[in-house]
Amino acid sequence: MIYQYKNNGYNIVLDVNSGSVHVVDDVVYDVIPLFEEKSKEEIYDGLKDRYKEEEIKEAIEEVEELKKEEMLFTEDVYKDYVLDFKKRKTVVKALCLHIAHDCNLACKYCFAEEGEYHGRRALMSFEVGKKALDFLIENSGNRRNLEVDFFGGEPLMNWEVVKQLVEYGRSKEKEYNKNFRFTLTTNGVLLNDEIMEFLNKEMSNVVLSLDGRKEVNDLMRPFRNGKGSYDLIVPKFQEFAKKRGQKDYYIRGTFTRNNLDFSKDVMEFADLGFKRMSIEPVVASEEESYAIQKEDIPRICEEYDKLAKEYIKRRKEGRGFEFFHFMIDLEQGPCVAKRLSGCGSGTEYLAVTPWGDLYPCHQFVGEEKFLLGNVEEGITNTDMRDEFKLCNVYAKEKCKDCFARFYCSGGCAANSYKFHHSITDAYDIGCELERKRVECAIMIKAALAEE
Amino acid sequence: MKHVKTLNNKTLKETMKKGGCGECQTSCQSACKTSCTVGNQSCENK
Repeated sequence: MIYQYKNNGYNIVLDVNSGSVHVVDDVVYDVIPLFEEKSKEEIYDGLKDRYKEEEIKEAIEEVEELKKEEMLFTEDVYKDYVLDFKKRKTVVKALCLHIAHDCNLACKYCFAEEGEYHGRRALMSFEVGKKALDFLIENSGNRRNLEVDFFGGEPLMNWEVVKQLVEYGRSKEKEYNKNFRFTLTTNGVLLNDEIMEFLNKEMSNVVLSLDGRKEVNDLMRPFRNGKGSYDLIVPKFQEFAKKRGQKDYYIRGTFTRNNLDFSKDVMEFADLGFKRMSIEPVVASEEESYAIQKEDIPRICEEYDKLAKEYIKRRKEGRGFEFFHFMIDLEQGPCVAKRLSGCGSGTEYLAVTPWGDLYPCHQFVGEEKFLLGNVEEGITNTDMRDEFKLCNVYAKEKCKDCFARFYCSGGCAANSYKFHHSITDAYDIGCELERKRVECAIMIKAALAEE
Repeated sequence: MKHVKTLNNKTLKETMKKGGCGECQTSCQSACKTSCTVGNQSCENK
């Protein structure tokens, strides 16, 4: 499968099955769609008005060579491979610990309903957290790197337990030959010097929630009394990022229909001095006034183009930043097994509620149908787990002809369920935006490769 | 090549040889938490 597109003056050709990425001139760009369908004579005839005969000849030769090298028109040989891969016994390698089902903000788009996840407010006890870590160690097989994300609600509302669990995890590392990678996602309200110091010592990544410009952030991320959170949080995040040496963190925002000009919010992050950032489209039911609608897609795509150009410009000026969705590792990226098998929700990755219940991921928490078990007994709903185990790119009809399938790995199961009541479907708006981000990310590679 | 500049040399097929160790980061733990972005993760089994 070939996918070709033009962006920012670059002609880009993706050979989807090999993962090869080519930047080509106009003549090759026009030869490629004809190459498998037409004879050489027909290609000459079709293009002779636009290019010299010699150019067309050279282009055909180069395309032939790339095909021989399995870098163009390669076959998809992975389907059986991924099925074999999926037959293997799965291990659990990552937990999202819902350390606090409570929050000190009242963000309007919160999928967790202001931290409460369709249930009651609760904090995870050390005992439950400890059992969760024991469960992870026991079920992780030979996997050495184990990931634990402290998530909420707002995890700093249960800070003592976070500290205790980190200490507990560390105390088990040697005995079991494991390496815990702790991460934490916070709104920053409770950040202070002591917490920052601890997080900088122990967390391999922190995600700091902020939506961008003050008016944008404060509209959607107010305190429970309605007051905006920007003024309190921004100085804390700035100090924190500085103390972390601008490494291993993301400022992470959500954009909604209220700020389709979200590239300005990313620029706000950059202008505030942040170096690592992400902004995600809100996922919300279409009746919400802030939900992204289908008709917003062209506007959002333009905004990604704008962001990509600014990203390149600032990079070239020596004041660049990282944007999560533009980071694509073309050389040392993930293996094909990882790319095909999805995010691992329900198998490798589980969410744990304050009571110790296990769900396929944080987004399914509170949807009783998806309750998988608990930290005492482990996975008891094995049918549901197996459904997630089979959830890969080849199980999804919509991925079959999509060029981005090896970049997004089939998309988010929770979003698919939310919009189509099936985990093997796909959330269409999310797909459109993901494709656009991949296009931009690859264009950026092309632009930076010119330097 | 005169008309083509290839940005990467390693192909996905090659990663079948020793891929699948699973030591890499779970994509949703990194930053997104809402969209599945795998292509930007790094391999830990180089």
